[in-house]
Amino acid sequence: MWYTIFKFEIQYRIKRPDTYIFFLFLFLFSIVGVDFIFQGSDMGLMKKNSPIVIAKTMGAITGIFMILASMIMGVSVLRDFKYNIESLLFSAPINKKDYLLGRFLGSFTVLLFAFTGILFGMMLSEFMPWHNPEDLLGFNAFVYIKTFLMVTLPTLFFGASLFFVTGALSRNLVVVYTQGIILFVIFMLTKAITNEFWQAILDPFSLTTTTFATKSWSALEKSTQELPFVGTILYNKLFWVSLGILALIYGYKKFNFNVVKEKQSKRKQVEKLVAKSTNVVSDIEIPVATKQYELLSKWNQLKQFSWFYFISICKQASFWGIVICGMIIILINSVNLGTVYGVDSYPATYFIVEELKETSIYFFIIILVFYSGELVWKERGAKLDLIYDATPMSSFIKLLGKYIGLNVVYVVLMLALIGSGILFQTLSGYYIYEFQVYFFGFFLEILPFLALYTCIAFFIQSVVNHKFVGIMLVIVFFIANVALGLFGFDHDLYFFGGSALGTYSDMNGYGHFLKPYLLIKSYWFLFGILLLIIGSLVNVRGTETNLIQRIRASKNRLSKPLFKVASMVFLVFILMGSLIFYNTNILNTYWTNTKATKFRVAYEKELKQFEYIPQPKIVDVNLKVELYPSSRDYTAEGYYILKNTNAQPINEIHIQKLIEENITLDTVTFDGGATENNTYATYDYTIYQLHSPLNPGDSIKMNFKQSFTTNGFEAGNSNANIVENGTFFNNKDFPTLGYNRKYELSDRDERSEYNLPERTNRANRNDPKELDNARSGSDSDGIHFEMVIGTEIDQTALVPGNLLREWTENNRNYFHYKMEIPMIDFYSIVSARYDIKKDKWISKFDAISKQVDLEIYYHKGHEYNIDRMMMAMKASLDYYSTNFGPYQYEQLRIMEFPRYAQFAQSFPGTVPFSESIGFVLDIDDETDVDMAFYVTAHEIAHQWFAMQVEAANVKGQYFILETLSQYAAIMVLKKHYPKEKIQQFLELQLEKYKEGKLRESGVEPTLALVDNQDHIYYAKGAINMFKFQEIIGEEKINTALKRFLGDWNTINGKLKMQTDRYATTLDLLGYFREVTPSNLQHIIEELFESVGELEVN
Amino acid sequence: MFVSINQKTNSMELRIDNLSKTYSNGIKALQNISLDIPTGMFGLLGPNGAGKSTLMRTIATLQEADSGSIVLGDIDVLQQKNNLRRVLGYLPQQFGLYPKISAEVLLNHFAVLKGITHKNERQELVKALLYKTNLYDVRQQNLKGFSGGMKQRFGIAQALLNNPKLLIVDEPTAGLDPVERNRFYNLLSELGEKTVVILSTHIVDDVKELCTNMAIINKGQVCLKGKPLEILESLKGRVYQKTIEKSELNLYKENYQVISERLFLGKPTIHIVSDTNPGDGFSLINAELEDVYFSEIFNNTKLKSI
Repeated sequence: MWYTIFKFEIQYRIKRPDTYIFFLFLFLFSIVGVDFIFQGSDMGLMKKNSPIVIAKTMGAITGIFMILASMIMGVSVLRDFKYNIESLLFSAPINKKDYLLGRFLGSFTVLLFAFTGILFGMMLSEFMPWHNPEDLLGFNAFVYIKTFLMVTLPTLFFGASLFFVTGALSRNLVVVYTQGIILFVIFMLTKAITNEFWQAILDPFSLTTTTFATKSWSALEKSTQELPFVGTILYNKLFWVSLGILALIYGYKKFNFNVVKEKQSKRKQVEKLVAKSTNVVSDIEIPVATKQYELLSKWNQLKQFSWFYFISICKQASFWGIVICGMIIILINSVNLGTVYGVDSYPATYFIVEELKETSIYFFIIILVFYSGELVWKERGAKLDLIYDATPMSSFIKLLGKYIGLNVVYVVLMLALIGSGILFQTLSGYYIYEFQVYFFGFFLEILPFLALYTCIAFFIQSVVNHKFVGIMLVIVFFIANVALGLFGFDHDLYFFGGSALGTYSDMNGYGHFLKPYLLIKSYWFLFGILLLIIGSLVNVRGTETNLIQRIRASKNRLSKPLFKVASMVFLVFILMGSLIFYNTNILNTYWTNTKATKFRVAYEKELKQFEYIPQPKIVDVNLKVELYPSSRDYTAEGYYILKNTNAQPINEIHIQKLIEENITLDTVTFDGGATENNTYATYDYTIYQLHSPLNPGDSIKMNFKQSFTTNGFEAGNSNANIVENGTFFNNKDFPTLGYNRKYELSDRDERSEYNLPERTNRANRNDPKELDNARSGSDSDGIHFEMVIGTEIDQTALVPGNLLREWTENNRNYFHYKMEIPMIDFYSIVSARYDIKKDKWISKFDAISKQVDLEIYYHKGHEYNIDRMMMAMKASLDYYSTNFGPYQYEQLRIMEFPRYAQFAQSFPGTVPFSESIGFVLDIDDETDVDMAFYVTAHEIAHQWFAMQVEAANVKGQYFILETLSQYAAIMVLKKHYPKEKIQQFLELQLEKYKEGKLRESGVEPTLALVDNQDHIYYAKGAINMFKFQEIIGEEKINTALKRFLGDWNTINGKLKMQTDRYATTLDLLGYFREVTPSNLQHIIEELFESVGELEVN
Repeated sequence: MFVSINQKTNSMELRIDNLSKTYSNGIKALQNISLDIPTGMFGLLGPNGAGKSTLMRTIATLQEADSGSIVLGDIDVLQQKNNLRRVLGYLPQQFGLYPKISAEVLLNHFAVLKGITHKNERQELVKALLYKTNLYDVRQQNLKGFSGGMKQRFGIAQALLNNPKLLIVDEPTAGLDPVERNRFYNLLSELGEKTVVILSTHIVDDVKELCTNMAIINKGQVCLKGKPLEILESLKGRVYQKTIEKSELNLYKENYQVISERLFLGKPTIHIVSDTNPGDGFSLINAELEDVYFSEIFNNTKLKSI
């Protein structure tokens, strides 16, 4: 008997277009599946069809599209109720078991069919032209089939059982749809479990499971090995399958075959109630109410409608399910906020908002996609459409009412999320609730996004006139738009919705990002309104469903007032579009990805010839900089003194202006005169033919004026260095000499595509040209520096050097800085509204005691870790000056800058320090490593390793600059914190190293020859230096470093004075060898010159 | 402030002229329908699939016609849809209700829909209509629990919200028990005094009891139009009845104008039309409207329309 029902189910579904649409959808999506799921992550050695990649992709796609499973499974029993044939069916001689079994197996078969789309799609994707054969293993269909059976099938079974049962029991379509959310919540909950094993078992999509099961695998194994269907993976699958079976059993027990009767008895009660009252004959005159059709009435209608539809969603239990899930998820997820080096930040509102946005977006999208379908179909779903359609109600007002209603629903969810955020802050003992940040984060960032996509969803639902197809199309639109952005078609004028709002920073708020953002959003919103108007015109009204007929009829439906509104909207839309175009494409130049790539290629091809031509060195910098933070402009005027350090005379000087449109080099003049050669003006590269050659040893003064001018706004992300509060840039923005490697195309595949030779980041350790450079294309071997800088009255501007004078003029603040000793040609320019913490440090070990001014410039409210940083400054200066040599400057400053970048960076005597990495960390001395202390110590170490000794721009450079700073900072940490903290710190480094290693492809370099791999020079470097120190002793290493500094100091190093070249790791390791006992010499090779296994003892 | 058009005009007429509609699948739903429908109850009689609903929906602006015209007073229905909607009350053949809403809330909602945006007036109106349709006591109950009869009464309440000049009621009594049906008739009959009410039905009694004018349509064409009484008058003394054996049926059909056949105590009873007394066991009966209806639907017998 069950077989008949099974067959019926299959036959029914075979005729339904949905079945094929689902299949096709999954099929098409899966073709780009791997690329979509792994977009942006470096797969390292793993190939695009490694078994583990296939497993993860299948798991993820299955997870994302679980919602399809709910559509297929949930409606199976529901359908009988929807078409009111339940009484026919249930009174027929079928028993419950056969009925449920037949229905379940039937729909499950269809479900499997639809999901084989993943299988075939992924198989086909291997043969897609965009895949590089190098990224693939040989095709093996068996791997796909096996993975499908192992990963997708059990998950599907569980989902199918759950959805089938909820559909059968609730008989409510929306409940069925929102099932996907529950699974998603479960998935998110598993992420909060700290026990890896349980996390692996409980993950419904087995994403973490595969990671856990292959944890111990080497990169090569991960690339080729098939996944074993034993252990964790097996348990995971068994767990979910048995949950599925449990769900089925529960459903079977609970499902009532006599539902119809129950319904009738209910009805009778009502009937009785009515029967009593019908005897009262009402002979009532019906009053004639005035009917109003003017604007005010429309407005009242709109209000009433919006509220009506809003309430109708609020009455759905499923909506509250989503709200509660959203709140719970946030409470769990917010545990780790703004984590830097394993330390969480204070639950500042913007962190909470970011976390909330990230986790809740899925919920919002579900609400958007499904409830927009529900709302557009509401009347038809309730079979009330004909009554609605025969009223004089404007279709547009009705659709707009629904639209507003849905947006109010978003607002409710947002308020709930904000509530849970505040709850979380309170529970964490943090009471600074910044409501405006909550407000902006949600209502300025998420709501417009949702509102715009809701227009799309309403439009699609109105036009397509098939709810499921509509839902699918909305999802397709989402994905297509994201994909469009990824391919670089992201101009705000045609990339739907425009770009996202820039990062919020305590220091700078939304800064200059806000205005263009709002303008672009308004532009798109007008577009959305047009879509709604068109949607309301072609929406089904009456019984005509044919699209062409509807389009034909729509012109009759366009009432005069609506036409006026539409024309107005269209006009403003065009005007705003033009305004945006004027800003992005006329005031500024819009660069597409391909255009930028071609530019880089041409730059290299044209100018590479000049890479190593003899150029003078900058020996003196004297500038007057005027900063105008509110209008985001600056001017810099002054001179460089250039000295010919070469053996031959120089006839031409090559000046490269920073390639950025905002920047203009207004004047460049040379003492003695020069002729401009503008052949390469396209690349902002000018050759100045000197009237009289610059002889070896001679100097020349180069005067210039550079301006940074903000004109309107740009498409996409604009410059985040010159901002209203928290400007931070460095001298690389000023004119440089000669060819600049940073403009070269770096991506390997792209380079080969354009026939460019292979490029290495860093030259070999014996490269004669780069040995003479301390930086890429180095313009200088050290400078004298002087700067007068002006900024707005409420801001403090900071550059390296002693502050000679400070004054106010024309309602602006001016500062005159001068560095009394030579320094490297690397200086920062910083300006913001600051609070200042000052202290002093007196050198105790120098013969002449010297005083250093310690200053921390911070954003008001970010006082949390100032004392820790100050302590670190003192501790570091103590340790380094004792062990490595004296501190060279008279001041040491830390300046906070906005979190657009997340790093701290050392310049001579100054350390710009990002808002996000030390200032707001919530350091618990019991459990955390004091990272504010550590990062400060690391940066101060750079005052020795970078400011005093520079390293040649070859492989291993970062060992000298970064690894040694890591070592120095650990020693300071060790001196002030217990041993366990060091251990904890080293373990963190080990984690980082492992993470980095997974990202990296190719052979791992040794520390001595490290290139740009930060997991090696930071993480591994710290671990190995610490080990080295344990083996041969801290004293000995410090002796070696002191000698190294003495010999290679850029300004006065004993060896450095005799050569043009800079130090390399070869030199450094020599000093290490000198202090290492002969029986331990091998350790140097083991730690620094070979790639060994890394461990922390 | 706008006041609804033609409020003062007491008698209005709906004129349907040469209305035709062919569906894309080739079915000719309406073929040159022409009807003049005056104020009062108008019965539109016809079997299932005759085109009644198509006609009603076309009048109710829910469907396009291929050709022809419909005019109510000075409103061109096919062009000025929104103007008609302002004076239209429509109760479709089948409709549902939002389950989780009360009658009062939904009626209010519909009132807003129809432009009654003045709050106090609206509340008065809704209250009155709920009394009128005997739903006042259950006004706060969720519509989920409404019976068929209550649902229909709610349907008529919403149709009356805008004080319609044209009320279209499509098969309102289908599925109602006799008590509910009576209750519903009482409600309708009051309205016929100042409104054009079109009642479509396949139940002859509905028309007989309520309508002052009627038309019978079948296969998309008007077979007969007129006043029920006059139509009956024309048949007076011409309808005869006889109970026969099943086997004789065809014989009788060949020899007489059989207009209806039905079972009476298990035996076929036939009605025939004849200007003279056929004898042969036939007895003269008072013609019923049903006889007219069946003669139109099942036979080629052309009764002259009046």
